[in-house]
Amino acid sequence: MEEKKIEVKMKRKWGMAVDLDKCTGCGKCSVACNQENNMPIFEDDSDVPKRVAFLELMKVTNDRDAKFPDVKTAYLPKMCQQCEGNDSGKHKAEPPCVSVCPAVATDVGDDGVVSQVWSRCIGCRYCQTACPYEARAFNWWKPEYDGSFKKSLNTDVSVASRGTIVKCTFCSHIWKRERDKAAAKGILDINEVFYTPACVGTCPTGAMVFGDLNDPNSEVSKLANSDRAMRLTNVIDDVKDAEKKKALLNKKQFPNPKVYYLTSQSWLRDMMRFKKNS
Amino acid sequence: MEMLKKIFKACYDGIFEGTSKNMRIALYVLFGLTALFIIFAIQILFWGLGYTDMDNNFTWGAWIIGDLGLVGLGGGAFTTGYILYIFRVDKLRPIINSTVLIGFMCYLFTFVFLLFDLGQPLRCWFGFAYPNWGKGVYPASMLTEVFFCLSFYFCILIVELIPVILEHKVLIKNKYIAAIAHYMHLLMWTMAAGGTFLSFFHQGSLGGGMWGALYAKPVWYSHSFFYMAIVAAMAGGTSFMTLIPYIAGKIMNKQYVPMETFQLLARISGFIFIFYFIFRLYDLYMYTFVNAPMGGREFFDMWGGYYGAWMLVLELLLFAGPLVLLNIKKFREQEKFMVLGLACAVGAIVTSKLSVLLHGFAAPNFPWKGFTAYMPTIQEWSITLGCFAVMILIYMAFVKWFPLFPHLEHDEHDAHH
Repeated sequence: MEEKKIEVKMKRKWGMAVDLDKCTGCGKCSVACNQENNMPIFEDDSDVPKRVAFLELMKVTNDRDAKFPDVKTAYLPKMCQQCEGNDSGKHKAEPPCVSVCPAVATDVGDDGVVSQVWSRCIGCRYCQTACPYEARAFNWWKPEYDGSFKKSLNTDVSVASRGTIVKCTFCSHIWKRERDKAAAKGILDINEVFYTPACVGTCPTGAMVFGDLNDPNSEVSKLANSDRAMRLTNVIDDVKDAEKKKALLNKKQFPNPKVYYLTSQSWLRDMMRFKKNS
Repeated sequence: MEMLKKIFKACYDGIFEGTSKNMRIALYVLFGLTALFIIFAIQILFWGLGYTDMDNNFTWGAWIIGDLGLVGLGGGAFTTGYILYIFRVDKLRPIINSTVLIGFMCYLFTFVFLLFDLGQPLRCWFGFAYPNWGKGVYPASMLTEVFFCLSFYFCILIVELIPVILEHKVLIKNKYIAAIAHYMHLLMWTMAAGGTFLSFFHQGSLGGGMWGALYAKPVWYSHSFFYMAIVAAMAGGTSFMTLIPYIAGKIMNKQYVPMETFQLLARISGFIFIFYFIFRLYDLYMYTFVNAPMGGREFFDMWGGYYGAWMLVLELLLFAGPLVLLNIKKFREQEKFMVLGLACAVGAIVTSKLSVLLHGFAAPNFPWKGFTAYMPTIQEWSITLGCFAVMILIYMAFVKWFPLFPHLEHDEHDAHH
């Protein structure tokens, strides 16, 4: 008897929108992320460039030497932007980090989440070099969990060994957990109500919104399409002329991330585009 | 214990007997560096890369500079081999064994550096077991290509090196070994051709394509970088292959290679340098006016303004050496100018590799971040310099005990009889 093949086409494309005007910089997202994803605590965690963290809360200032009335500050939570690249017909769409991995330790799923297999990673750090968002972290030291901290480890997330790359996966273990629960009831597709990354779930001001970018009615889609939305480093967004855009995409691939930052502050928008402060 | 003492004494005598005082000091320094290399290698391999100054922004450091430099300069091996075996320029015969040995060591230590750079050295075979192939045999990852190409070419260099070892005066007395060595020499052109074919790929991929493929980083993204690295390897590599035997000859106070051979290789290097220079100018033009603006950045901004561009200025100044001194016959025929030209050529290649890495990683990804500094730690210095020390020691050992310059041995034999 021929086995009937059930094809479940993924309808979701997970994305995030962060309203920088709403963000107070409280850092709860960062704490929640560390807790959820078993981030190690090192003896000297002031060594920021070697710290292992998926979510970095960046402080953005217009000018370090500015005096009181002119000084402007914003906080920007930066996690993996889950790039997908552009499919222009000439080249296959691929995130900057995925095509470079020599051991296929990282891949992008059909729901758009860039995954990383820690036990497959050889630690060459080529993906880290390729990432324009500094979103990947390397375990420079052996991850350690002291004392009672060990008891609070999340069993859904594997602890990485020293010398491997780790990264934010939009808490995809939560998706797996919730999907399995739903599948037991016969539901094969779950929405953002069931699946929410830890950082979004904990944001007290509602600055972070998570959802399905393929669904035009979802909150995240509406925010992503608003005039206030911007994507880091993805300069192709600024090209409005359709012809020019197409020509540029044929020439070169752009990261095409799925995290949108919203702000109406012009100085912040300029800064995000490497423009000199106005 | 007595036995150990005897062995140690025999080794000591074997190495230091009949050496001058200067030579002995040099050997002590080299052995000292090797000892440091071993100590810190153990530390890095067992306790991890935390002891380096690399971090999440500056992901590669001193060792990748070693890799890029060694592979770039080791490229002289395939160029020289190709010119000798395929174009049949027999004047290069005296230098070929030395060239093959240098090429072999450059590639061997590229592997060593790469191994240190891996966070999980025990998983290095994953690169072969789970390669990231794209369509057909075209690799998606440049590192996959480097893994395979480098390994194949390394095998070729081993085959090319075997006759040098077989022709050792003790071994060659066995008629079977002599026959094997003889026929290997005759068939060496196949290896030279294969080596050139493979070299073209990994010279391009490790030297340039690896960086050019990073499309999200406007500091590196470039279409022409891959091809430029091949030309750079041919230009700088031939200079390097001339310089090393020359220096060895000076130190050991012996004319190993006829001046004629040096002159010819220097001329070849200078000639290829013209193309490399034009290519480099085109590359800079493309970066400044096409590639960087496409990524929404200004190229010279990423150098940290005009101050940070000193490396670029240095590189362009060093270009003058090979372009003028190696191409104009009047200068080239004077030994001191020739050596200066060769040194500048090697310097230009090394500087270009340095600047690719240092300025590439230092440039901030976000405007609110500053330039990243990188200062190698003692561990990184020791392993890098230690590797070079071991290379020099191996070369010296070959000069002393193996027929690296066979034409000399024949002359000596003739003189004895």
